[in-house]
Amino acid sequence: MADKKLRNPAYYFNRELSWLLFDRRVLSEAQDESIKLFERLKFLSITASNLDEFFMVRMASLKDMVGAGYNKPDIAGLKPEEQLEKLYPETHALVKDQYKLYNEKLVPALLKEGIHIVGHHEDLNKEQIAYVDTYFEENVYPVLTPMAVDSSRPFPLIRNRSLNIGAILQKKGEEEKREFVTVQVPSVLPRIVPIPSGKEGVTTIILLEEIIERNLDKLFNNYTIVGAYPFRIMRNADLSIDEDEAEDLLQEIEKQLKRRQWGQVIRLEVEEGVNEKFLKFVERELNIRDVEIYSITGPLDLTFLMKLYSLPGFEHLKNKPYTPQVVPELPEEETDVFEAIRKEDILVFHPFQSFMPIVRFIQQAASDPDVLAIKQTLYRVSGNSPIIKALAQAAENGKQVTVLVELKARFDEEHNIVWARMLEQAGCHVIYGLVGLKTHSKITLVVRREEDGIRRYVHLGTGNYNDSTAKQYTDVGLLTCDERIGEDATAAFNMLSGYSEPRNWNKLSLAPLWLKDRFLYLINREITHAKSNQPAHIKAKMNALCDPDIIEALYKASAAGVRIDLVVRGICCLKVGIPGVSENIHVRSIVGNFLEHARIFYFENGGKPELYCASADWMPRNLDRRVEIMFPVEKPELKDRLNRILNTQLEDNCKAHVLQSDGSYKKVRKTDPEVNSQDLFCKQAMAAAKAISRDVHDSRLFTPVSSESVKL
Amino acid sequence: MAVKTFAAIDVGSFELGMKIFEISQKGIKELDEVRHAIDLGSDTYATGKISFAKVGELCNLLKQYKTIMSSYQVSDYVAYGTSAIRETTNTAVLLDQIWQRTGIRIQILSNSEQRFLDYKSIAFKLENFEEIVAESTAILDIGGGSIQISLFEEGKLNTTRNLRLGILRVQDNLIRLNAGVDQIPNLVNEMVADQLDVFKKMHLPKKKIKHMIIVDDYLTGLIQKEYGSSDAPRCDKFLRSLASTGPLELSRKYQLAEDAAYLLRITTLIVLYLMDMMGTKSLLAPGVTLCDGIVYEYAEKKKKLLPTHDFEQDIISSAWNLSKRYMSSMKRDQTLETIALKIYDAMQSLHGLTKRERLLLQIAGILHDCGKFTSLVNVGECSYNIVMNTEIIGLSHRERELVANIVKYIYLPFAPYSDFGTETSIDADTYLILSKLTAILRLSKALDRSHKQKFLDLDVKVKSGEYKMQILVRTTQDITLEKGLIGNSADLFEEVYSIRPVIHKVKE
Repeated sequence: MADKKLRNPAYYFNRELSWLLFDRRVLSEAQDESIKLFERLKFLSITASNLDEFFMVRMASLKDMVGAGYNKPDIAGLKPEEQLEKLYPETHALVKDQYKLYNEKLVPALLKEGIHIVGHHEDLNKEQIAYVDTYFEENVYPVLTPMAVDSSRPFPLIRNRSLNIGAILQKKGEEEKREFVTVQVPSVLPRIVPIPSGKEGVTTIILLEEIIERNLDKLFNNYTIVGAYPFRIMRNADLSIDEDEAEDLLQEIEKQLKRRQWGQVIRLEVEEGVNEKFLKFVERELNIRDVEIYSITGPLDLTFLMKLYSLPGFEHLKNKPYTPQVVPELPEEETDVFEAIRKEDILVFHPFQSFMPIVRFIQQAASDPDVLAIKQTLYRVSGNSPIIKALAQAAENGKQVTVLVELKARFDEEHNIVWARMLEQAGCHVIYGLVGLKTHSKITLVVRREEDGIRRYVHLGTGNYNDSTAKQYTDVGLLTCDERIGEDATAAFNMLSGYSEPRNWNKLSLAPLWLKDRFLYLINREITHAKSNQPAHIKAKMNALCDPDIIEALYKASAAGVRIDLVVRGICCLKVGIPGVSENIHVRSIVGNFLEHARIFYFENGGKPELYCASADWMPRNLDRRVEIMFPVEKPELKDRLNRILNTQLEDNCKAHVLQSDGSYKKVRKTDPEVNSQDLFCKQAMAAAKAISRDVHDSRLFTPVSSESVKL
Repeated sequence: MAVKTFAAIDVGSFELGMKIFEISQKGIKELDEVRHAIDLGSDTYATGKISFAKVGELCNLLKQYKTIMSSYQVSDYVAYGTSAIRETTNTAVLLDQIWQRTGIRIQILSNSEQRFLDYKSIAFKLENFEEIVAESTAILDIGGGSIQISLFEEGKLNTTRNLRLGILRVQDNLIRLNAGVDQIPNLVNEMVADQLDVFKKMHLPKKKIKHMIIVDDYLTGLIQKEYGSSDAPRCDKFLRSLASTGPLELSRKYQLAEDAAYLLRITTLIVLYLMDMMGTKSLLAPGVTLCDGIVYEYAEKKKKLLPTHDFEQDIISSAWNLSKRYMSSMKRDQTLETIALKIYDAMQSLHGLTKRERLLLQIAGILHDCGKFTSLVNVGECSYNIVMNTEIIGLSHRERELVANIVKYIYLPFAPYSDFGTETSIDADTYLILSKLTAILRLSKALDRSHKQKFLDLDVKVKSGEYKMQILVRTTQDITLEKGLIGNSADLFEEVYSIRPVIHKVKE
């Protein structure tokens, strides 16, 4: 039962405002002058794409609630309308800060490094003009589709997130009559166009919309261009599908996809100083409010900076790319993954360690004649995923392959459907998600027939089976053939296939069944220990913390004297330092080069610490509406390793921001010795990989390669 | 490969379950268990038939199970249907339909066979089973509709009783009574007491029962978790704490669905009541299901597993107990049993029956006079009714009916096949067995006509080619009565075997 006193709205933050603080922490990385310039561009670009998603999903959903007359206050006591009112000024301020940084710091810094971004086509010199005009005629003109608006032609449907140019035209000879047209800036062409600089050592670039703007008159021969203005809109994109009514989930999602582009407009970005008449016209046509219009002092859609990042020749302005290291337990291509797992449980820490062994685990399973079945949950995979290929191959090799594909992974549906169909054609048994639940768990089960009987190999992880994001996201995974976990894995897949819950679980905890209760139990157990003067301590790392039941339990634990150290990357609705409620809770957020993504939980348990990893954050959506798995890590060496990961992050004094009692975040001050947890993990992984390669090369013995070990 | 994978399928009243096992020299290992809720029971119990749609659903599930079986490369399977299938009026049609549509053959299991399988799997799963049952032991098999209590004395099954006290039934009653959380313990105790009073009077010796073994779906898992094994010595306190905890808290603490926690509490209350009644302190929860029993039976049949316990002896000893209950003369029953078995063994090449029929003959011998308890005139009919209405653990319904008919036709003129109606399970094959066994038992009975056990020391010789069976008796007593009266009983014998039994008195 909820404790009324602890459910006081004053004890909680609104999750959207907390999210904006996270985006600000990312922005602070872009502002940090000790960071290399191109990395700063990347961070700024991330804040922009984050904000886009925030609008499409969160702001949109709040607007939906207001539209539907839903009036229930959130955990912090704010009604949807009140939240929106608080969010508009915050988002406007954030955008202002983004462009302030861009214009005042980054553009001059780029110029200093010999990169000149031409902001307006009016600033081009003669040579450049000739270049861009030719470029326009040869590359751009053929793909443009101008659309006019008048009484017979309604306002065109502007695609979500697309960049457009709106223009006001005047027919030659008819001074009075004005016409309105729009042209979409084609997304198939690169937004950044390098142009001749005329100066040695200077790279000059211009943005595609400027080139189009300059040449707009070529599209409308008999008209004079009165004014041209880039604009961009954002639409409601949250998918809310009523699954109980959808006969075929797949069809329903395909339908939703087509519809998504035409959702309600929730944000309009225009260049500062845009023509008033033009603005009024667009405002009316799109049915948008003043607060939803963002006037931008610079190029719209800063995500182009990510493209700038990949401009060749500026390696000195970027961090040296880090190569995920070899996993010492699975050193080489030829290593028999199964044998290695039989030897010991293996904990893998990405991206510091390579994701390849996980891919190899599935590839090897696909071709191994003794493997009978492979079962896997897939949430988001990379394009051209080697895992998908291996699964299809396995099915073709006659193995029973069951794949649970989550179609509802946000923004990925279209992509997911394509390869899900492909897997089905290859003979895999594909389950297209569960009605009413998203499958977010990351688990793979390989059933193998060995001499002494069936053995099960399991991979459990905190991150998606995506070999490309595994280079960016920090995640942990466990490879094991522990029988009890194997049994649970089988049971979990049985449940996902629609069979009854097993009589009991050995090791795993599943959401939405037990996971929340399990967490509450573990937290409460610490309270009991604290009360009887036994060691009690909770350390946890996750992406977001906003589940009211969990926060309440943490408050109780803090009040009972349990020390609680949290590393929460993003949203955190918990407040620290409330007298008598949360004085023992410390929250920090780490924003670094890699996206913090692992979920690790430590419970002191009276001196017999327990460590868990999970696919779930402490959010209601994870604990109540998704299939998630938490698994214990029990081997002492691996527990130590996980604990060290947590401790290192808690000691980080380079990339950590600490939550203050007033709700703000304060970046920690660097102290000696400097602890940059992500850097440290890189170094540790490199050292571990080096140690094993030395093992091979320093040996005074030669190892002949036997015929059995050579695979033909 | 010495490792074999096997699937056991349990077509239950409310659930379709399957377990995949690995059978090897090392023993039996469970690999997978799938269960799917499917309510066949309601259809059968209400209409006697399983609806078209439900059969379709069942077949679809069975097909999915087949895929799972092939994913483990299962080489053999056994599928058993219990009451929901058994009690349909068109069972044969239904089973054939399922076979045609899925390729899975379902066999029918009677309640007593089902309980026997559960009990068999306990014997296999518990390492020290022999030691445990050597002392007094109760096995409590807790189902949704009923509970089976079996009592062991000195290593042998003493009695087994089915009580309509299943936890779903109790839950139904509690819901109907709208019982509050605090009222539940008292109400459950009252319901249990009502049913157990008679049982206690009839079967519970004054001394205490030392061990209790439980088979159930809810408590077992918890005990195994709490004690780290199936053995829960001195679990009184633990059980009482479970019984006094509300379902909501139970479900949180042990990761149980709330309705499961409710049923767990009922189970615990019933177990506690019985433990108190029997004065038992320790509990064993080996965690077996029907599927476990199926695999043990299979492994035993295929000689993959040596029996750790003499199960036949249990069937025989429960027959003896039954006979005792109806005050038959033990001496007479024993004599008849001995004579009948000697004849049976001597005739092996002529009747061509198996060990199992020998067991049935033995049981019929033990029970042949139980009807005298009710009536001295209508012994045959009365014995038939007693046997038909008493569960003998380990016997299928058909076998029980066979035994009942044998004890009936010892006394009554043997009926032609056409007299057995469609409502019986006596088909042509069974009828043959019936006639063979009845003939032997009738003859045996004639040989002990005076009830003076004159024929205890006898030899039976069958001379092939002579159509004669010599019964050589070593006795000093006068056997005129037997010699004179053998004629009537020998008629049936002669008719069935084409052999004339002749008695010879051998001089010492």
